[in-house]
Amino acid sequence: MSSPLVEELLASLVRRKASGQVVDEGEAARSTARWMADAGVTRAILADDPLVQRIALADALRREGVEAITWPTGQGTREALGLEGPPDVCGVTVPSLAVAERGTVVLEASAGHGRGIDVTSRHHVALLPADRIVGTLGEALARTFAGDRPVPSAVSLVSGPSRSSDIEKISTLGAHGALSEHVVVIT
Amino acid sequence: MSTWRRRDTGGVAYDDVEGTLRERTIVALSDRTLRGNLETAATSWGEGREAMRHDHGLDEMRERARDIRRQNIRELPALLSEMQAKVREAGGTVVRAADGAEACRYITGLARARGVRVVAKSKSMATEEIKLNEALEHAGIEVVETDLGEWILQLGGEHPSHIIAPAVHLNRAQVAQLFREEAGTDDVPDDREGLVAHARVRLREKFAQAGIGVSGVNLGVASTGTVCIVENEGNARLVTSQPRIHVAVMGMERVVADWDQAAHILQVLPMAAIGQDAANYVSLITGPRREGEADGPEEFHLVIVDGGRGALRGTEFEEALSCIRCGACLYSCPMWKSVGGQAYGSPYSGPIGAVITPLLEGPSSPASRDLPFMSSLCGACGEACPVGIPLQDLLVKARARASSPATRKSGVAFRAWSRLWRHPATYRAWMAGWRMMLRARGKDGWATHLPGPGAGWTQVRDMPSRWPPRR
Repeated sequence: MSSPLVEELLASLVRRKASGQVVDEGEAARSTARWMADAGVTRAILADDPLVQRIALADALRREGVEAITWPTGQGTREALGLEGPPDVCGVTVPSLAVAERGTVVLEASAGHGRGIDVTSRHHVALLPADRIVGTLGEALARTFAGDRPVPSAVSLVSGPSRSSDIEKISTLGAHGALSEHVVVIT
Repeated sequence: MSTWRRRDTGGVAYDDVEGTLRERTIVALSDRTLRGNLETAATSWGEGREAMRHDHGLDEMRERARDIRRQNIRELPALLSEMQAKVREAGGTVVRAADGAEACRYITGLARARGVRVVAKSKSMATEEIKLNEALEHAGIEVVETDLGEWILQLGGEHPSHIIAPAVHLNRAQVAQLFREEAGTDDVPDDREGLVAHARVRLREKFAQAGIGVSGVNLGVASTGTVCIVENEGNARLVTSQPRIHVAVMGMERVVADWDQAAHILQVLPMAAIGQDAANYVSLITGPRREGEADGPEEFHLVIVDGGRGALRGTEFEEALSCIRCGACLYSCPMWKSVGGQAYGSPYSGPIGAVITPLLEGPSSPASRDLPFMSSLCGACGEACPVGIPLQDLLVKARARASSPATRKSGVAFRAWSRLWRHPATYRAWMAGWRMMLRARGKDGWATHLPGPGAGWTQVRDMPSRWPPRR
C-alpha cells in the first residue's frame, strides 16, 4: 500500500523514538487533531503553509477542543518559550523534505514557518506529503541547497524528540526541545 | 623549531588547574566514582560504535571522510575566503581573530555595544578554548551554558571532561545536589527525568533574558556560507533562534567546500561521537533572519579563530587540523578511560588534546608540555578516529618537540651517550669500564646496587656481574 521509502521512514522514526502514521489527505486533519487530543495537547502553533490550510487543520483542532494559533503568533518572549500560557503546546510544521534512512525531517525557516515552532513546543507534529521523502541525507541537502534556489536563513534537521545523555550517559527525552515527535505522512 | 609560533596572549590549557599533570592523574586514579562513571560511558560508546561499523559501514565511510578533511585543510585559505564572502552576502558579519583574546574582545565589545546583560551559550569547544566565559564575566555579563552537561559543570565550577559529553564523571545524586544549590530549594526531583525537566524550565528562563546566543560551529560550508551545529538536546536550536543576536565561534579549520562533503561529515560525526546514525538536531544557519521572518536573530556574527591553527598547515602536524571533535579517540584511550578529561587540564583532553593543546600553546608551555606523554602509544586512538588522524604518530612527534627542563636534560644525556657509542674505540672502553664496575660491585655473581642512572634500574632488579651468571 505505501512505498518502500514511506515504510523505511516509519521504521527509522520508531528507532529514533518518534512516531509516524500514513493517512490520505482527506483524513489528515481529523487524525492529526485526534493524535494531539490524545497526547493532551491544548494549544497548537501552526505553520502558515498551504498544506495546513488545504486540509483545514485549524477547524479539525477546534472540534477536538484544541486552540489553534497560526504563525506568526505575536506572542511575547515568555509565552513563546512556554514559560507562560498552557504547558501542553504542540508545534505543527510542514517539512520541505524527509530522509527515510535516518528518520529526519527537514524544516526550512520562512515567513510562514518560524524556526522555533517545533523546538519551543512540548510536542511536535510534522505534516509530510509522501512525495517529499528522499532516501539519503545527501539527497536532502543537495536539494535544499541547490544553486537554483535561494539559501534559507535556517534549516533544521530534526531526527526524533529532544534528548540528553548528560546525566549518567543514559538517554532521557525532552531536554530542551519537544518531548515527542509525530510525523503524519500524507498520501 | 621554526614551525612553532608562541602565542602572546592566553593559552589553551586552563590556568586555574591545581598540581602537576602527574599529581592530577594520581588524584583521578584514586577516585572510584569517577572510574565507574567513565567505564559506563566508554562501554556504551563502544557498543554504539560497533553497531555503526556493522550497520552503516563506518569503516568505509572513514576513508572518504579522511580524504575530504585532508583536501579541506590543503585548500583552507580559499575555503575561508569563500565562506567569508558568502556569509556577508547573506547579511552576516565575519570577523577573523588571530587569537582567543582578539575573539573575546570582539564578542565582549559587541555585548557592551548592544547593552546585553545575559549571554546564552550552546556547547562549544572553541569558546572553551578562547576562555570566552571568563572574558564576558569579567565585563560584567552573565554567561549561561545551556547544554545540560555544561550547565551542570558550570554550576559545579568545573571544567568539561569530554569533548562531547562534558559531565560524564558525575552521577545523578551529585547532579541533584548542584541543582538544589542553584535553585536555592530542596524541591528538586531525584530521578533522571525529573532532573532534566527541572533544568529545562530553569534554562528557558535564561533564554527569555538572553540578548546574545553564542554557539560553536561543527562545520562551515563554504559554498553557501552556512554554519552547521550538531546536537541532541535542542539548546543550540534555541540559542540560534531566540536571542536577538547570534554569535557563532568557529575554529578556522572547520570548513568544508560544499554540501556533498558536508553531508558525508555530518553523517560520520554522530556515528563516531555517540554511536548513533543521526544527531537529533542539526541547525544549518546562513546569515540572520530574512525580511518577513518572525523569529531568528536580527544579527549574525561569525568569529573565525586562528589561535595557532594556521601555523600548523604545512608542518608534520597538519593532519591534526582534520579533527572534527567527535571524541572517539577519548573513549578509545585506555589512559583517558582511567583518568577522565579533567586531569589533562585543557578543554581538549584525550589523545587529540594531548597533541593539539601543546601545538596551539607552543612546546615549552608548562601547562601542556607533558601532555603528549599521557599515552601508552597503543594506537587505539588512531584506530578510532573517523577522519584517520594517525594520533599515535603525532603523539610521538609531539613528544620529540616537547621542551621542558627534564626533557632538555635527558636530551643532553642521550646525545652524549650516542656520541660515545658511535665509535668502536670509545664503545669498547665504555664496556670494559662497565665490566670492571660490575665485578667490583658484584657479590656471588650479582650486582644489586648500581650507581648513577643504574640506581633506579637495580631498585627492583639485579644485574649479573659476569656472564653467564652463576645460579
